[in-house]
Amino acid sequence: MQLFTCPFCGPRDETEFHFGGEAGNLRPDGADVTADRWASYLYMRDNPKGATREIWVHMNCGEFFVMERDTVNHKVETSIALDSAEHA
Amino acid sequence: MRNLAEKWAVVPDWQTAAIEVPGLAIRSLAGLSQYLVSGDLDAWSKVSGAPAKGVGAFGKAEGERYAAQVARDRMLVVSAAPLGIEPGWHEEGFGVTVVSAGLQAFEAEGSETAELIARATTLDPSAGSASAALSFAGANAVVYRHGDKLRIHVDRGLATYLWTWMETAARNIAAAAKG
Repeated sequence: MQLFTCPFCGPRDETEFHFGGEAGNLRPDGADVTADRWASYLYMRDNPKGATREIWVHMNCGEFFVMERDTVNHKVETSIALDSAEHA
Repeated sequence: MRNLAEKWAVVPDWQTAAIEVPGLAIRSLAGLSQYLVSGDLDAWSKVSGAPAKGVGAFGKAEGERYAAQVARDRMLVVSAAPLGIEPGWHEEGFGVTVVSAGLQAFEAEGSETAELIARATTLDPSAGSASAALSFAGANAVVYRHGDKLRIHVDRGLATYLWTWMETAARNIAAAAKG
């Protein structure tokens, strides 16, 4: 079992959380978005080895937040509420 | 055509349902008025005169009217009597949803309550958490203390599952206590 930290609730069991995607992968806007840009948004993931920034949601309280963690050792560095995080 | 009804556990008679083993008694609570208040909880506090913050996980609520925090901007208000507030959106900045029929409430008491908690969740009941919403036996529930008892609110559709889970847990707790 691993504990993740919800910015509102504090440490909770990892099973209470759901992955929401890479932070910073913003949906393209406008009618003239190229196919490559859509493909990048929909399918192309960075999948980094090491430090990564991701969007997660705590299913019980509904808090969306940015989690900074390490994909190698699974260590969680920070959890920041989405409205105060630089996720763009 | 197959009768799929037999696959489902029969819903207990909540008026009489009870789980009793040495050190643990669980029953269903009837007649509670329950409201989800969402949005600007400070505005709710000004209008209702109630605190803007509810108790968190395993926090201690008291009295016949209290609130349990569900999320940063949502709380479950519980009252023994109906509140005199209109459901729906209030222009002060909050919404009120009546969920009395949507949530089933259970109450557990006895010296083995801590053992029930230990089997239901990994959350440390002494650590505290801002939200009373947590996974209890795998179901999303609102869990807090009321007096010296434990109260659990769960979606009514999951109430039968949670009841059968608690029956099994209670049997196992009793067996473990016997050694």
